[in-house]
Amino acid sequence: MKKLLFLTFATSLFISCSNDDDPQNDPIPTAAYEKGILVTNEGPFGNGSGTISFISEDFTTVFHDIYKTVNGSDIGNIVQSMGFSSENAYIVANNSNRIMVANRFTFESISSISAGINNPRYFVSNDASRGYISNWGDPSDNTDDFVAVLDLITNTVVSSIPVSFGPERMVFENDKLYVAHQGGYGQNNLISVISGNNLLTTITVGDVPNAMVEENGILYVLCSGNPDYTGNETAGSLVKIDLANNQIIETLTFGATEHPSGMTEDGGNLFYGLNGKIYKLAMASNTLPGAGIIDGFFYALEAKEGKLYATDAGDFASDGRLLVYDLTTNQEIQNVTVGLIPGGIYFND
Amino acid sequence: MKQNGFHIILAFFLCTVSAYAQLDSIQHLPEVMMTDSKLVHFSKGFKLEKLNDSIVERNATSLTETLRYNSSIYFKENGFGMVSSPSFRGTNAAQTAVIWNGININSIFTGQTDFNTISPLNYDEIAIRSGGGGVQYGSGAVGGSIHLNNTYSFKKINNTKVGLHSGSFSTVGANANTTQTWGDHYLNVGVDFISSENDFEFVGKNMTNTHGQFLRFAATVNEARKLKRGVATWNSEYIYNDRNFSGSLNTIGKDGYKDISTRNLWLLQQRTGIFNTKASVAHLFEQYRYFPDTEKPSYDDGNANTFIGALQSEVLLQKKLRINGKVEYNYINAEGDNVGENSRKTLATVLLINHKISDDFNYGLNIRKEFFNDFDNPFLFSADAKWKVSKNYALRLNGSKNYRVPTFNDLYWYAGGNVNLHPETSYQLELGQEFSFGKLNVDVAAYYISSEDLIKWVPENGIIWEPVNINEARNYGAELNMGYSVKLLKQHTLGFTANYSYTKAEDLEKEKQLIYVPFHKATGTLQYNFKTLLVYFQGLYNGEAYTTTDNSAAVEAYKIFNLGAEYTFSSPPEITFGGRFKNVFNVYYENVAYRPMPSRNIQLFLKFNI
Repeated sequence: MKKLLFLTFATSLFISCSNDDDPQNDPIPTAAYEKGILVTNEGPFGNGSGTISFISEDFTTVFHDIYKTVNGSDIGNIVQSMGFSSENAYIVANNSNRIMVANRFTFESISSISAGINNPRYFVSNDASRGYISNWGDPSDNTDDFVAVLDLITNTVVSSIPVSFGPERMVFENDKLYVAHQGGYGQNNLISVISGNNLLTTITVGDVPNAMVEENGILYVLCSGNPDYTGNETAGSLVKIDLANNQIIETLTFGATEHPSGMTEDGGNLFYGLNGKIYKLAMASNTLPGAGIIDGFFYALEAKEGKLYATDAGDFASDGRLLVYDLTTNQEIQNVTVGLIPGGIYFND
Repeated sequence: MKQNGFHIILAFFLCTVSAYAQLDSIQHLPEVMMTDSKLVHFSKGFKLEKLNDSIVERNATSLTETLRYNSSIYFKENGFGMVSSPSFRGTNAAQTAVIWNGININSIFTGQTDFNTISPLNYDEIAIRSGGGGVQYGSGAVGGSIHLNNTYSFKKINNTKVGLHSGSFSTVGANANTTQTWGDHYLNVGVDFISSENDFEFVGKNMTNTHGQFLRFAATVNEARKLKRGVATWNSEYIYNDRNFSGSLNTIGKDGYKDISTRNLWLLQQRTGIFNTKASVAHLFEQYRYFPDTEKPSYDDGNANTFIGALQSEVLLQKKLRINGKVEYNYINAEGDNVGENSRKTLATVLLINHKISDDFNYGLNIRKEFFNDFDNPFLFSADAKWKVSKNYALRLNGSKNYRVPTFNDLYWYAGGNVNLHPETSYQLELGQEFSFGKLNVDVAAYYISSEDLIKWVPENGIIWEPVNINEARNYGAELNMGYSVKLLKQHTLGFTANYSYTKAEDLEKEKQLIYVPFHKATGTLQYNFKTLLVYFQGLYNGEAYTTTDNSAAVEAYKIFNLGAEYTFSSPPEITFGGRFKNVFNVYYENVAYRPMPSRNIQLFLKFNI
């Protein structure tokens, strides 16, 4: 049935994207997933598997569920994110509590990791020897959260660094790892700074730090603020941190009930989502913009070379879409169907 | 803990058996009465199916099992024994009312009944009423209603039943039920217990079901006392469920659920002149505890108390015109970790009329108006007619307006609950035809349901999910039920029953089939009797069902078959033993995507009827 589904997907996409009536039944040639965009789709909670979609750079080809196509098996439930190290992709299947390691260009499976992780969220690495995996543990337990250190040669977890609760996205810069503590089922407001296997310090930022961008030694942290249902609503904020001394340079505060989420950078500008709009902010600016540039609720955002890539998860119960906007005109230039709940956009070049 | 429970029950049986074993066992077929008489009198133009005792007993694992093989209702079962929600004519679980002795028992929190938490052996009669029942049964009786009734009688009865069963996957169960009458008294006491490791293999997958253990204990007491010009009754039940929720192909089960329900109904019925008046008081209690990780002690819980006071009076004029007026006051108080403490008061007024024009034709008109503290409820009505055209052919017609009120989760869930919701409403029409030629009975029904303001949880601002009255749906379809039996030789009988349904349930905005509503479902049983030997072959076909709202993914169709046999020694005490092979052809199938259902398995039972 899954194969049939894949064919259905592939067929419909092929038709819509290339106006070619020939369904794409043939096995995918190796290294077919180079030079293009990878989208991780979380998939249905509990009852299924997340998938990865591949869209070629020129948007003429779209392949669905490429991991299963190549390996004949599922990635796992809730594909939360993916990280890379040299030629390897580390695909985090959160609810299956495993990380699948595959070649990032062929997607042939290399290994899988399930020991030493618990409720994994994100993977990051900046050299060929060591990777980091943020783990929530039990999301209602604020004391069991950790960052796992992965030996990239053996693909085994070699160390575990206990951290504050809800470690989520990570940035690796200048031999240091910066971990944003968004919070698990609750809300947190910290950035952990890790070097090697040691937690060096923590930096207090705004509530619910959910996105980070590093540029020229400055870490830009977008904090959503506590949502109103917590009974302790706080405003969102953009916090700029000097990585030379871990001091906060500047904090831009949003309106009291404004909760921005998702942030990406391109050409000296930051782009973030707020109340159904994408806003553009010059990195050097010390005031928040008044008007948005693009309308829409997006689940993931990535900007690159004058284009904004954004996913729309729709009703979260049907296939989502990848939309591409030209950042000079702010007009939509591509619109492609991807998988169920597309939560991550990655460039594979 | 599970082991202890079993021993307690076993001890109870032994007492029961020894206490009643010596009593005489002469049985009369009693004239049976029911607390919820409006099911009979004011549903003439509706399709009403009753499941007979043997069907209930042979599928006694759960109410899901009872109905799955013997009705057109589709069940979305989240792994065997786990949460099971019905879809009746393509409507959802919250649009299917479960009625216990005339009272709607759907959860205050979820609006639905989990059919795996109901013990089918607690009741004397299980009936399926298809079509809208909002006027009689209130919120949620949209697609149809399932009726769990306890009956009573003042004829001489002295009957005790004891059953023991065991099966694959360390499944054990036992039940005992005794019914006694003396003088003006009727008393029925029953207990039922089942527990299972539920660790079946996934056919062809080299995996087993883990963390799917379940246990259920149910007890019931039903009492009636004849009064000078009436009767007083008390129906009561207690149900406890303790389940671990199993994982799926890609996930490991961690969470668990424990729930307790108690239900009590006291009813006083008096005849004064031509009026038959019933005054009743009822109390329903539900409590759940959800354990995100069963290895840890922490849980989320909720509990709700419902108090119902009702007064109704019925009159039958010239043996033709039956009029029933009812006023019902309902007070709900619920509190939970995720919903806070809230209450709801409802005053409902109902008028039911049935007019029998001749033996062959009668019609009914019913209306309901409710007065709420938190939102205005629609005025509901229904009309029905039944015309017996000839000895072999009858026509049924009914139309109704029904509704479903938002649940406490919809209104108050933290975070996302929306107190501005209003009830879902739906209109429906049904035409039914009944054919009967000797031992062949055929029922063909076609229906149309149009629903609006359907409550759906959507990611409102991209972050927080919130329920809104957004969806519109259109359901239509057809159902075929048939039964046939033929005497082959002396003492040899061959019987056949079958159900088929076609269901189209369309989201009008997306123009797609609703998820987890298969277009086709068919069930059939072929049964052969020789004296007291019974052999049957049971089959179920469940069509493909979509799992995504754009219909891009689906759970595959499946066919499964069961083979069973029973033999009864009729010398007193009557002893029946039997068994059933389930999934005889050992096929792999999923009812919910990525949740494999049991491999071939066997169930054995032993029953004493004293």
